[in-house]
Amino acid sequence: MATVETNAAPIPEAKSFAPERPKMGVVFWTSVSWILLVIAAAVLADLLPLRDPDALGIRTGEIQRFESPGVNAWFGGDGQGRDLFAQIVHGARPAMVLSAAVTLIGGSLGVLIGVVAGYVRGRTDAVIMGIAEIMFAFPAIVLLFAVGAIWGITMAILIPVMAVLAVPSYARIVRGVTIAVAERDFVDAARAMGASQSRVVIKELLPLVALPAIAFGFLGFGLVIATEGALAFLGLGLEQRTWGSLIAGGQGLIREAPHLALIPATAMFLTIMAFNYVGDGVRELIDPRPIVVGRKRRADGPRPTTASASDALLSIRDLRTSFPTPGGVVTAVDGVSLDVRTGRTLGVVGESGSGKTMLLRSITGAFPVVGVQREGRVVVDGTDLLSASPASRSAMLGNEIGVISQNPLSALNPVRTVGSQLVEVMRVHRAISKAAARARAIELLEQVGIPRPGRRVDMYPHQLSGGMQQRVTIAIALANEPRLLLADEPTTALDVTIQDQILRLLASLGDEYNMAVVLVTHDLSVVRGWADDVAVMYGGQIVESGPTSAVFGDPQHRYTQALLESTPRLDLPIHSRLAAIEGQPPSLVAPPAGCRFADRCAGADERCRSEVPVLERLGSVEFRCWHPGQGEAR
Amino acid sequence: MKLLGRLIVRLVAVAIAVSLATFSLLSAAPGDPAAAKAGFAATPERVEEIRSELGLNDPFHVRYADWVTGVVQGDFGTSVLNEQPASKLIGDAMPHTVELMILAQVIALAVSIPAGIYSAQRPNGWFDRLTGAMSFGMLATPAFVLGIYLAFIFAVRLEWLPAVATDLPGPFDDPVENLRQLILPALTLAAGMIAIYVRLLRTDLIETLQQDFVLMAQSRGYSRRRVLWRHAFRPSAFSLLTAAGLATAGLLGGALIAETLFAVPGMGRLAVTAIFTEDYDVVMGVVLLLSLAFVIANFIVDALYAVLDPRVRHGNR
Repeated sequence: MATVETNAAPIPEAKSFAPERPKMGVVFWTSVSWILLVIAAAVLADLLPLRDPDALGIRTGEIQRFESPGVNAWFGGDGQGRDLFAQIVHGARPAMVLSAAVTLIGGSLGVLIGVVAGYVRGRTDAVIMGIAEIMFAFPAIVLLFAVGAIWGITMAILIPVMAVLAVPSYARIVRGVTIAVAERDFVDAARAMGASQSRVVIKELLPLVALPAIAFGFLGFGLVIATEGALAFLGLGLEQRTWGSLIAGGQGLIREAPHLALIPATAMFLTIMAFNYVGDGVRELIDPRPIVVGRKRRADGPRPTTASASDALLSIRDLRTSFPTPGGVVTAVDGVSLDVRTGRTLGVVGESGSGKTMLLRSITGAFPVVGVQREGRVVVDGTDLLSASPASRSAMLGNEIGVISQNPLSALNPVRTVGSQLVEVMRVHRAISKAAARARAIELLEQVGIPRPGRRVDMYPHQLSGGMQQRVTIAIALANEPRLLLADEPTTALDVTIQDQILRLLASLGDEYNMAVVLVTHDLSVVRGWADDVAVMYGGQIVESGPTSAVFGDPQHRYTQALLESTPRLDLPIHSRLAAIEGQPPSLVAPPAGCRFADRCAGADERCRSEVPVLERLGSVEFRCWHPGQGEAR
Repeated sequence: MKLLGRLIVRLVAVAIAVSLATFSLLSAAPGDPAAAKAGFAATPERVEEIRSELGLNDPFHVRYADWVTGVVQGDFGTSVLNEQPASKLIGDAMPHTVELMILAQVIALAVSIPAGIYSAQRPNGWFDRLTGAMSFGMLATPAFVLGIYLAFIFAVRLEWLPAVATDLPGPFDDPVENLRQLILPALTLAAGMIAIYVRLLRTDLIETLQQDFVLMAQSRGYSRRRVLWRHAFRPSAFSLLTAAGLATAGLLGGALIAETLFAVPGMGRLAVTAIFTEDYDVVMGVVLLLSLAFVIANFIVDALYAVLDPRVRHGNR
């Protein structure tokens, strides 16, 4: 998702999905009820109108030996005719007491230690977490088993031992939250205002770490129940009657009277499940998943009708790309048409979130999000990629069409050598032997300016510098001599000194292979230097396009003017250069009714806000603006 | 080589820590091994005699040193119960436990890898939600509860599989019968791991599938299967691998339960019996070996990591 948020589509504003509290479902409340029921059984067992769990039914004649569950005895009877239902109700208490004690003691100790470790950091933290790691490594049940076998299992032994075993889990979770929270401003503020350390911890931190700790407490509670059961099952149960001891007792009779083991086992399963589910629900309170609004947006606005240039290698017509997000359906590319001829380079320029990266992705069809819808036509060399069969599409991609992406390190598979990735792209698309492909790979590496290609071919991406990595991705893109090259900010992630080298390389390769190139960039100087034509994108649409010299020499659209006027600030990273225009790019979930730039435009009037500008043509330049070319009006 | 050195240091450290801990724990035990060995009818003099024979009157460090010397030479002491060397009892039981654990891991991986991959391809699809719910349920099911359910369904009701594995043949003598008897205990052990693995792999893969190099692989026209296996799965397998290593600790504990429940003559069952008969030489041997097994398992994971992930191999991460 991160890629989308930064490059492709603007994040729908927070107001469009107010952080609603997640609704707890039926299962959550059923779980809560079940837990309350079990607690009630544990507390009230003696007061309920139950049979005496120790009364021998075969003597009193009330319950038969191994009586099946039924009206007389709801859960049936055991070998001596004792009432299983009464036994289960009474058996709830020890496990509840044990779990509550362990969770409270272990939990509060763990929270305390976790807060200290996360707040103090440094050596204290290292020592605490080191000990926790060791404790995680040792199988707890084996330790409990040994302890139990030697000293016997009583509450007095189990509670402290299990509490100590529980501490590291709580400590680790709370430590993580504390570290995150402690770096927030208000804790600093409290500290700056002279609050003492312990005061900061108690008043500011504890309330925030409480919820995650409680969420984990529910899971831990279930875990204690399971562990007690396991011990009882191994013959090391508490002296009290528990569900674990009932299961252990019934297990040997699974053929004669399966209900004796299955019913308490199910009771235990349901209880642990309920605790886990409630714990999960509480955790969701902390980290609410945004509710999907799912507002459908209707297509509108006049579609640009650029004359179809039949000699274009890439011809896009009325492309519309949308995908669902928690805030609604984002239309990242909204009615884009463009043509690129062989041998020409088209620069696509715009702010972050203008849809330019999404436009490139719409050509290849590889998206980082699911549920992307594309409409329109994307014709490359006579084949419409949107309606073509998967096979013919695959045959085009990586073969006729080469792609270069923004960040070369993340674009290369980190766990495979440069050579294997080069060989792969050749062998997938053409019949070529491994040896021949490898020889060609070395040749390609040399061609993109990598010294000692024979050695570098067997290296992994992380062993190369950023510039080298980008040269490798270029080599992969060119491996099959494509006719169309798509480059998405190929120099943004690189050092300023390297940027020029890479662009120079791209330009010379473009000439050599006689390719059509689409170059997406933030950087106007890149467009000015390397692109024959330019398309300015704003809010998912192309607002102005034409030959670079014409557009940059006499910009018609107000947005293009603003772009050109915003003086590049060399002290800022490239990404922020265009941010010099005031205001925010428009929402792509619900774009403005009229001109999409109206809200940020100094010369906008009523018409701009209500009517969508029609596509106009002035010489070789096309634009959508009601007040074109009036730079002097500002 | 550096890895091997690290392994040896870690093994020795864990061995010393665990052996000291168990040894002192068992020394402090209230039971009297001499009395246990002498039997009910023995006179106090006889018990005292056995006590000095066993060296129980020596100071702690002498007894510990004696024991360690023995262990290093492969002598784990003598089982009090039937005078057999503890090493023989442990040696007989070990292959069954090792086989059980391997079988459980294989089942867990065989189920969770396809399930995780399929879930990740369509997050929130019906299959994803189904596996999500099932994982949740399996995580909430203690091993012995699941074991009882499995025994009831497959052994008692359907009568497809035996409920006990007491006359377990070796895997090479009678592989079919061996599998028949071990499948239920192995499933019992595997269930918890499946739940963890599926969730982990799914989350990891969903993230990997959104990464640039996967998108790039897609935009080079590679088939779905190639993108998934050759590009996305391998990086995602790392966290799965770590989980598998850590799960070994749980497996060791689970082996106690599964072996007891299905009467598998393995180390877990041996330890349980030994503890009740105060056969401490056997207990110590088992606990020591289990802990070392844990360290070795995690070492294997580290080594595999290095093989699979070049970034680790070059110390670059």
